[in-house]
Amino acid sequence: MKNFDVIIIGAGSIGVPAAYYLARKGLKTCVLEKLPSEGRGQNRAAIGGIRATHSDPAKIKICQLTIEIMNRFRNEHGIDVDWIDGGYLFPVYDNVLEDKLKKLLGVQKKFNLNIDWINPGKVDELVPGINSHNLLGGTFSPEDGSASPLKVAGAYLKLARENNAEFFFNEEVTGFETDNGIIRTVITNKDKYSAGIIIDASGGYARDTGNLYGLEIPVDPDCHEAGITEPVQPFFRPMVVDLRTDDQSANYYFYQNKEGQVVFCITPRPRIFGKDTDNTSVFLPLVVKRMLNLYPRLRNLRIRRTWRGLYPMTPDGFPIVGFTKEIKNLFLAVGMCGQGFMLGPGLGMIMSEIIADNSDKYDFILDQLTLYREFAGTEVLK
Amino acid sequence: MNRIDRHPVLKTTQDRTKVFFSFNGENLQGFENEPVSSALIANGVKEFSVHQVGDAPQGIFCANGQCSHCTLIIDGKPLKSCITPLKEGMNIRTMIHLPELPPDDRDLDKFGPLNLKCDVLVVGGGPSGLTSAIELARLGYEIILVDDKDKLGGKLLLQTHKFFGSIEDCYAGKRGIEIAALLEKEIRSFENIKVYTNTSVAALYKDKKAGLFIDYKNYAVVDFEGLVISAGAREKNLVFPGNDIPGVYGAGAFQTIVNRDLVKSSDRIFIVGSGNVGLIAAYHALQAGITVVGIADILDNVTGYKVHADKIKRMGVPLYLRHTVLTAEGEGKVERVTIAEVDESFNPLLETAKTFEVDTLLIAVGLSSIDEFYNTAVQFGYKAVKTGDADEIAEASSAMFGGRIAGIQLAKILGRDVDIDESWYAKAEILKSRPGKTKNEPVIEITDKYTPIMHCYQEIPCNPCISVCPSGSIKLEEALGNIMDLPYYTGEECTKCGMCIAVCPGLAISVAKKLYGEWAEVVLPHEFLPSFHESEFVPLTDTEGNVLEKGEVVKIQFNKKYRTYLITFKVLLENAAKIAGIRIQDEDKIKPLPKPVFNYVPDNSILCRCERVSVGEIINFIRENDIKDANQLKQIRVGMGACGSRTCSILLPRIFSAAGVSWYEVAAATKRPLSIEIPMGAIINEESGETL
Repeated sequence: MKNFDVIIIGAGSIGVPAAYYLARKGLKTCVLEKLPSEGRGQNRAAIGGIRATHSDPAKIKICQLTIEIMNRFRNEHGIDVDWIDGGYLFPVYDNVLEDKLKKLLGVQKKFNLNIDWINPGKVDELVPGINSHNLLGGTFSPEDGSASPLKVAGAYLKLARENNAEFFFNEEVTGFETDNGIIRTVITNKDKYSAGIIIDASGGYARDTGNLYGLEIPVDPDCHEAGITEPVQPFFRPMVVDLRTDDQSANYYFYQNKEGQVVFCITPRPRIFGKDTDNTSVFLPLVVKRMLNLYPRLRNLRIRRTWRGLYPMTPDGFPIVGFTKEIKNLFLAVGMCGQGFMLGPGLGMIMSEIIADNSDKYDFILDQLTLYREFAGTEVLK
Repeated sequence: MNRIDRHPVLKTTQDRTKVFFSFNGENLQGFENEPVSSALIANGVKEFSVHQVGDAPQGIFCANGQCSHCTLIIDGKPLKSCITPLKEGMNIRTMIHLPELPPDDRDLDKFGPLNLKCDVLVVGGGPSGLTSAIELARLGYEIILVDDKDKLGGKLLLQTHKFFGSIEDCYAGKRGIEIAALLEKEIRSFENIKVYTNTSVAALYKDKKAGLFIDYKNYAVVDFEGLVISAGAREKNLVFPGNDIPGVYGAGAFQTIVNRDLVKSSDRIFIVGSGNVGLIAAYHALQAGITVVGIADILDNVTGYKVHADKIKRMGVPLYLRHTVLTAEGEGKVERVTIAEVDESFNPLLETAKTFEVDTLLIAVGLSSIDEFYNTAVQFGYKAVKTGDADEIAEASSAMFGGRIAGIQLAKILGRDVDIDESWYAKAEILKSRPGKTKNEPVIEITDKYTPIMHCYQEIPCNPCISVCPSGSIKLEEALGNIMDLPYYTGEECTKCGMCIAVCPGLAISVAKKLYGEWAEVVLPHEFLPSFHESEFVPLTDTEGNVLEKGEVVKIQFNKKYRTYLITFKVLLENAAKIAGIRIQDEDKIKPLPKPVFNYVPDNSILCRCERVSVGEIINFIRENDIKDANQLKQIRVGMGACGSRTCSILLPRIFSAAGVSWYEVAAATKRPLSIEIPMGAIINEESGETL
């Protein structure tokens, strides 16, 4: 039996940053991960977008923290995680979407988000050569950006280890011993562990982990495919999100990363649930037709690699964060709905303050993202 | 121009159209539709582009469309020059660091998704793919056969030498290029085989479809029931300082440039690796008029067939056994190669270093199967077989036979009631045998009757000599009871017809007869355009290349069937039985520099060529971060380049071991499609599509 202050289940987008922030607070922290290294669940599939311009207070706050962290990451830690503050651009080609986004602008501005409506000329400046037919303008949030999920996970692993967090890879949680509403032991295929606090950060597998400790966690992954091109000289800066839909797909988005490669992803319609992460033949023609329609200049850019990852979805599209009523030392940080990468650093910092310092300043987040909410309604900007 | 105008085997007077193109503003000339890379090499260009990491010069590397080192800006677009056909007026420029994306902002107005369907998709039109397609076509299946080159035959097309094996099972004695033509003709005779050349499989998908990049222009999604994976092999790379400079490349790439494109890539080469590939590359180089300064192998014995090695030695190429490459050096291209002996742990002994002035270093340290498609097929539960080098590295003779078996095996898997002749399996095993025992050279007495002498002392799967002898007086010993057995002359009825001399792939048969007094005549095979004439004296060697005497050329004949010269010499009787070959390289052209010149910093060797990550960087990263998963190396860009780690993944075990981590503890990196980069416009067939 190994004893810790905190056990984190899952070394992914959420678990690895959390391990660093908790260990930095002096807590003896370990991370149990069934895969061979950090970020091999869905972090590896994230394309790297980070935005604070959501529509709800919890995610806005968490991602504002992530962006603050990203802005000072290189100076503070001496590690380049390829952060680019290129902004998020939602180009708009129809009045319905224009109305919807303009309405949302009001909400977003109330949260002091730096986001505004821009005219077609400004859209073309940001994305030179973008399709101008019927282009009405768009919303642009210059402080949002992107980073490398691979490098962020690697950096937090290194930082966490420097702060004495321990990582046990290739180690799968197989059961829990619970006594009086408290998890006494976490059992893996190799060892047993105990800790004052258990954080479930098992991402796409949260429902399975929940079954092991006896709670129904409403997280069901659906899959999205993504791709990356060869690198070329920088030619546009923002993350471009096309919110339109067609008969096979919903939104898609792409940006050019620090290496010069364009990274892209599309949301299938109808959604495809399940945990299969193997590539399908449908993805490329589907996403490319839509991307070239929006941005013909991409036509000569060569696609290098494609992959498929999971969005650990909750019924309402919002994460589940906080302690459970049934198991007092269990803290949930699951169901990130495809935004674990951008939520991870901010959420890790917040969790460390809640767990180590008993801070109550994030109670509004815990209230909003509680497991015990109705799960009615849907995220506007999904 | 570095063109091959005269060649003992290949037809050099081809009907090709001359075109003009510009390279960095200079007007150059090439042939229409030859690869841009070969046109440039023919014009003496070695440095193609400049990598953004360390301003490193980039030259040709795989010549096979797999890597991206030969990328150039061609008419404004970054393209791999080895798979881009040359056209009149092309504007070609060096790519300095990352390319700029051309601002082509025309609206998307065409869209042409392309869907194909077949019973069996055959991936790779080399020896095994072709024979399995033939077997499947005979059974009536609708077949799509794809190959990434413009002609069918795979590596057969580069093989100008005669084949081992047996005549009835695998065309022994014929040259690879001739066999390719025969197989292609047979393939084209089947209406139910649809052939796509210049076509790469970009991906196998979970929904039982494959993505094809057709003609490097269009993208198609193909439905299939069964798969034959006959994608061949890729050349293993080697880690040493300077392994990344232009002029270091694989033996296969070399054969492509020289034998397929008839471009004289080099003047002087050094080869590392004494397997059959390295030995044959040396032979092909000599035939193309290129000096082969030496062959090094880290082992203390030759790994290829002894007959191949002996042949090379007889021509005057030294073999440096227990030697490794220390460095390749030069300004922007290979100018020097330094080798050194190794100790028992294979560490180089720097004090034994020898430096050679060469312009090319060929890596021939083995092949690794291209089996990722098969592995994916198995993972996805598809009905699939693998064959040829994609299954197991062996000679093409074995691949052709194995392909037939694989074709029928797939038919069985697809539910067809077919049987495979049990004897086929045994034959297939023999054809892919490694060399067996070597026996001592027997003493043969030369009489006044013609006597064929087989300088063939190592058991290999080969027997055409017994098939061609009209009097049946060459037989195999009966030690093993198969074609691995050594040939011998029964002692009667040799008429000096010369067929055995001409057919022998190892050029290992001579025929001798006592003349008068102390003189004898010897007939030797010669696969070079004779540089001598009758009554000239030429240095002749024993089996292993020691010069015995200068013999007088008596007669020069040409055997048309096997396209081999038979040269009759007058020699000393005492040497007649031992003489086995003709020395063609002067010793003074292949000597090392008087003193070695090198700078050996092993950590500077490049592991990931696409992203230029050095061995030192990787070892440090593994140590500092306790790396146990090869995927983690992607943080320092290893495997993130165009080739997707296909070139370097095989070298990783050694690097982890050097960093103190056992490879068995390390998780392998995930492999993902695409296996070849495809422009977005091609994915939706913008150019050939229908108006939206």
